[in-house]
Amino acid sequence: MALDSPKELGAIQFGLMDPETYRDMSATKVITADTYDDDGYPIDMGLMDPRLGVIDPGLECRTCGQHSGSCNGHFGHIELAAPVIHVGFTKLIRRLLRATCRECGRLSLTDEEKEEFSEKLERAKELGEDPNDVLKAAIRQARKAGRCPYCIDQSTGEPTKQHDIKHEKPTTYYEVQDVLSGEYSELIASAMQPDPDDEDDPGMAPQELAEKTDIPLDRINQILSGEFRPKADDRKAIERALDIDLTEEDMNKLMPSDIRDWFEDIPDEDIEAIGIDAERSRPEWMILTVLPVPPVTARPSITLDNGQRSEDDLTHKLVDIIRINQRFMENREAGAPQLIIEDLWELLQYHVTTFIDNEISGTPPARHRSGRPLKTLSQRLKGKEGRFRGSLSGKRVNFSARTVISPDPTLSLNEVGVPRRVATEMTQTMNVTERNLDRARRFVSNGPEGHPGANYVKRPDGRRLKVTEKNCEELAEKVEEEWEVNRHLIDGDIVIFNRQPSLHRMSIMAHEVVVMPYKTFRLNTTVCPPYNADFDGDEMNMHALQNEEARAEARVLMRVQEQILSPRFGENIIGAIQDHISGTYLLTHENPQFSETQALDLLRATSVDTLPEPNGETETGDPYWTGRALFSELLPDDLSLEFTSSAGDDVVIEDGQHLEGTIDEDAVGAFGGEIVDTITKVYGETRARIFINEIASLAMRSIMHFGFSLGIDDESIPEEANEMVDEAIENAYEQIQELIETYAAGELESLPGRTVDETLEMKIMQRLGKARDSAGEIAEDHFGDDNPAVIMARSGARGSMLNLTQMAGCVGQQAVRGERINRGYEDRTLSHFRPNDLSAEAHGFVENSYRGGLTPKEFFFHAMGGREGLVDTAVRTSKSGYLQRRLINALSELEAQYDGTVRDTSGTIVQFEFGEDGTSPVKVSSNVENEIDVGSIADRVIDNEFTSEEEKARFLGTQEPPTNLSEYAGPGLNKAGTQEVESDD
Amino acid sequence: MTDRQARRKVSREYFSQERLAEHHFRSFNNFLGRGMQEVVSEKETIDTDIGDKEGEEPVFVELGDVRIVTPRVREADGSEELLYPQEARLRNITYSAPVFMEMSIVRGGEEEEEVVVDSAETKVGRMPIMVGSEKCNIAGFDDDELVQIGEDPVDPGGYFIVNGSERVLMTSEDLAPNKILAEYDTKYGDEIQVAKTFSQRRGYRALVLCERNRKGLLEVSFPSVSGSVNFVTLVRALGLESDEEIVHRVSDDPEIVKFMLENLEMADVQTEEEAIETLGKRVASGQGKNYQLKRANYVIDRYLLPHLHEDGVDEEEVRINKAYYLCRMAEACFELALGRRESDDKDHYANKRLKVSGDLMKDLFRTALNKLARDVKYQLERANMRNRKLTVNTVVRSDVLTERLEHPIATGNWVGGRSGVSQLVDRTDYMGVLSHLRRLRSPLSRSQPHFEARDLHATQWGRICPSETPEGPNCGLVKNFAQAMELSQNVADEQGLKRELASMGVEGIPGIEGVDRTTPADD
Repeated sequence: MALDSPKELGAIQFGLMDPETYRDMSATKVITADTYDDDGYPIDMGLMDPRLGVIDPGLECRTCGQHSGSCNGHFGHIELAAPVIHVGFTKLIRRLLRATCRECGRLSLTDEEKEEFSEKLERAKELGEDPNDVLKAAIRQARKAGRCPYCIDQSTGEPTKQHDIKHEKPTTYYEVQDVLSGEYSELIASAMQPDPDDEDDPGMAPQELAEKTDIPLDRINQILSGEFRPKADDRKAIERALDIDLTEEDMNKLMPSDIRDWFEDIPDEDIEAIGIDAERSRPEWMILTVLPVPPVTARPSITLDNGQRSEDDLTHKLVDIIRINQRFMENREAGAPQLIIEDLWELLQYHVTTFIDNEISGTPPARHRSGRPLKTLSQRLKGKEGRFRGSLSGKRVNFSARTVISPDPTLSLNEVGVPRRVATEMTQTMNVTERNLDRARRFVSNGPEGHPGANYVKRPDGRRLKVTEKNCEELAEKVEEEWEVNRHLIDGDIVIFNRQPSLHRMSIMAHEVVVMPYKTFRLNTTVCPPYNADFDGDEMNMHALQNEEARAEARVLMRVQEQILSPRFGENIIGAIQDHISGTYLLTHENPQFSETQALDLLRATSVDTLPEPNGETETGDPYWTGRALFSELLPDDLSLEFTSSAGDDVVIEDGQHLEGTIDEDAVGAFGGEIVDTITKVYGETRARIFINEIASLAMRSIMHFGFSLGIDDESIPEEANEMVDEAIENAYEQIQELIETYAAGELESLPGRTVDETLEMKIMQRLGKARDSAGEIAEDHFGDDNPAVIMARSGARGSMLNLTQMAGCVGQQAVRGERINRGYEDRTLSHFRPNDLSAEAHGFVENSYRGGLTPKEFFFHAMGGREGLVDTAVRTSKSGYLQRRLINALSELEAQYDGTVRDTSGTIVQFEFGEDGTSPVKVSSNVENEIDVGSIADRVIDNEFTSEEEKARFLGTQEPPTNLSEYAGPGLNKAGTQEVESDD
Repeated sequence: MTDRQARRKVSREYFSQERLAEHHFRSFNNFLGRGMQEVVSEKETIDTDIGDKEGEEPVFVELGDVRIVTPRVREADGSEELLYPQEARLRNITYSAPVFMEMSIVRGGEEEEEVVVDSAETKVGRMPIMVGSEKCNIAGFDDDELVQIGEDPVDPGGYFIVNGSERVLMTSEDLAPNKILAEYDTKYGDEIQVAKTFSQRRGYRALVLCERNRKGLLEVSFPSVSGSVNFVTLVRALGLESDEEIVHRVSDDPEIVKFMLENLEMADVQTEEEAIETLGKRVASGQGKNYQLKRANYVIDRYLLPHLHEDGVDEEEVRINKAYYLCRMAEACFELALGRRESDDKDHYANKRLKVSGDLMKDLFRTALNKLARDVKYQLERANMRNRKLTVNTVVRSDVLTERLEHPIATGNWVGGRSGVSQLVDRTDYMGVLSHLRRLRSPLSRSQPHFEARDLHATQWGRICPSETPEGPNCGLVKNFAQAMELSQNVADEQGLKRELASMGVEGIPGIEGVDRTTPADD
């Protein structure tokens, strides 16, 4: 077996490739655009040449001799008839053209400047800044120099003048220079004519011009007749004298071959000064003379049902390139006119450009016959479905399953119910040894369809055999030590479970498998909060782990019980929810009494199997147990805790006995239930898991014992209460009417920073809010404490008093974007109202309750307010996904090091101490009030560890054990005590 | 009968099942009844290139009346039988009816007299027919008859059957065309006022913008002119020359007059000719002067506010009407700038128009007919070239129109690049069907927030269901009609309406006789 030990990458370097290297690497030169001959065999030196690798099974690669699948393919090359520009480097090419001399190719910077930029570059690299900025600065500096500091123009004897470079996207470059206009004589003549509109302008005679410019008169006449082109000095003189411009821009197109010649002249040390490694990336290599042909394996052709071959987009593009390339060569050899050559050259450039990138702005994308743009090299890499984001950072995996989730309160929170279908599909590898041989054989003999069965076996020689219904018995007997058996998932296996969106680390947790019938994943309801799951059709993914390291890691780090505490707020995120909370509330609120049967029934699903001492006897002499006593049975024996719940109830627990207060959301709920939090931190995750499981079971039993339902009658309030509500609202209406009158009279005083209109709106809103609140209070007063809605709201199980208010009292003001409803018809919301009606009912105040029923107008306003919420949720989810991606990208490579610092991959310190305080949010107390009593935890652990006081004392170092190392330091003769002998340990 | 019972009876009568897809029927019947003929009449003739050569007489085709029958199927043996929806569904064929058109090939007009070479009513193609519409074979059947032919008596209809699959055309909600909408906008960080009009005529849609830029100058932009044109220049080019008249046409409000004077002061041109010249330089810069003038005239007659064109109104009058219209847009800008009015509410339902199946089919039929015309032209030229006798029946290939009508309905890719226009009828359950038939789609992108467009607007009361909208990205953009929604159709006889208005004392309606146009009304 091949040993693929992990290797470490030292560095990755990117550079340009030398055309010679292309040729050396190439398996073959490609010269024909054809792919297959009539018999369906690849054509030699064609695009499907067998030397480029094989894709058809059975054929042998002519380069490496391997078959398809094991041969990765080999590059070929096309000799381009003329150099073309690589689109990826157009910007750099432009910069280099601008920064170097057109004659000698040297960088237009003095030696000192070069030195300076080299230094800056070094510094930028050291500081981790973008070396591109230095490059840009250097180019800018070089561009300023109008003349080359190194070479002399032979014709003028001056330093060579540099021309401006114009870049026409994507791949055309021009040299721009000012030359004498072709119509110079006409221009001069017309400037010398007197201006007919301006009487003060007498024009200029040739003599006058000659005097002004110091040019002989006959020369002037020659210039005027167009016989003589004035030299640069004369031209400037004439321009000055007549205040005209005689130049026009001359654009000289730079062909890729010109650019290549130009770049060849640039000396190595010059480009190194601007940060280009000349050893690896000579600038002339940016102009392609040889085009590498990707191996066929990178552009496989597919055979359609009708036997026709359909080629990859890249192959199509390469065909185009070769065709044009050939035509180019033929035309050039035939001596075609320059114009045709240039056209072909441009066409070749276009094809090579689109071969590399088909989404260049300014170039029409190359299209397939059907009109679909071709997907060429850069399109393969870019974007969400591209190679990086689509195939490397994330990809589809084997051993994963997805289905709908449903609740199962009988499971532990660590477990997940896996449908049999999934369990038989997903496998775990079993290495057969003498100890598990029998088991392995049993799995195999069960076959792929029986449940704890197996799907594949692997012999020591590496051969994999599929276990089928037919061969399973036979195969089972053959299984020996050192075989591998891919057995089905069985109870107790560890798997990873995930629900998207994975917004925090608790979105992916490890669960133990419980294989179950039916087709859904089953979870304990207490793990809903970390996954943010519910059962309205949610689906979740499961991944079966494939090696021992992964399984160990998952079990130790990712198991649900290890995630009880959330790093978000340092308290538990797993705990009782909804009906669990109602259940514990009912059980403990008024401390009800239970008979023996009832008490046993409540504790039936827990591990408690003996009842404590009864709390007392009823009048009839039967023993009874209180709810709090039963609850206490689940608590650790020595737990002592005192806290005040947000409902204002003081909860007292002493030595594992719940004495006072009601157990509600603040005690056992997810998101920071005190008891769960304390147990997790003090007694550990395992104890917490047991506690949460049992509390959930007890609570379900309890709520079933009491019975819990919510009907329409539970929200009704007596008639007199209704009248009081109406009165309160009537009251508010009157006050609003007063406000409106004051406003209409122009007497309303505006609040600071607000207009009068805004003030009125605000005051009305305030008043209506108050009206609703008082309606709520009235309603609340008329609800009994045993009202199920009240129980849910008070215990924190579900809903709030506000919901109750809306159901029974008054729904209240509807708002859109924080304001009363103002939009609609002109000057009014609905056509049911008079224009400019400012009253409450005309702007979305719903005075009825949900139970009482809304009027049509109110219903409509309510729908308007409700719509905003729906839109908000929809828009928020899409935005948060994007935000998440950006956050992850920014933080993904940060890592806490062993020295406590947080660094990125380049070793740059981001934080000197993790979180600036070096603590883990889950390992410290979440606030000052519940500090973790480390001393008592240590005491308890040590007490458990040692059976005798003596051993404990010895461990703690309070007592020295007697030694017989030497007489000198022996018992009784403690001479060493004064001599300070250092012990070996 | 008690009041309550009476009401119940009335509403039961009102909410009968026939009403559920009523809007589709009305719209589609309207299209069959007059929409198709309108499209053909707009087209009028099919011109050919025959006659471009020397000594050859031009040939063209005159289009006459279109006629459509009820759906039928042509069997392999050539027989044609009535087709019922259920059969179309089961046999995976299209529920479509043959369309016939009177066409006559005319030769001459240059040297010789125009001679009708051939004239015939020919089948030009097949039109998919809406189940339950007036051309549908089950129209007017009672329940028993429907059961007899295998139809569900409670099926609401209102969809098409193409290749056996039932497709509904989604009603789409657009901003009302030919209406001035004033609103604020920002340009380079400054708040500016813009008056917008989507001017629409015969399937051509042009957005005309009138902006008041930060210097207070008015600029107009419309298709085919890049950037914007000075308001005064454009108005002068349209024939509204004098300062006084321009100001007067915009407004008599002293503050607006002040704004207008600023504009006139900055004006570059004074006369109509100058203005057209300036415009010519914009629309055809670098061209010859004559061409520039021609192009400028063409552009203002063709691309500027096309909805003001009307048959029977001469160019001169249309132009001045365009000028008046632009003045009204200017007034809207100024009023907005002065706070005299608030910006128009684009979500107000008065500013919305719905494109129901008939309107969509009209768009489709228009492009299909153009395609057919091109094909007829090609066939004619070819036949002429080979010196064949030109007959109507040989030059019309009915597949062209059929293909152009069926393909968009089958795929949902409508003309103008809209996709998802036709959808497979949601047959999950009966409620699904009803909801689907009464669904309404906003063309706004679902990827942008568009908070205000998604809100339930008070003007949707009674028209759009306040509750039924999907959750998620389409929330508030996809809507459903309310139960009692009544969809009005556009007026069949516009001239009649205008005459009626004129008789009631409305002055200055273009194209109406008997109104004194020399003295513009001082309103």
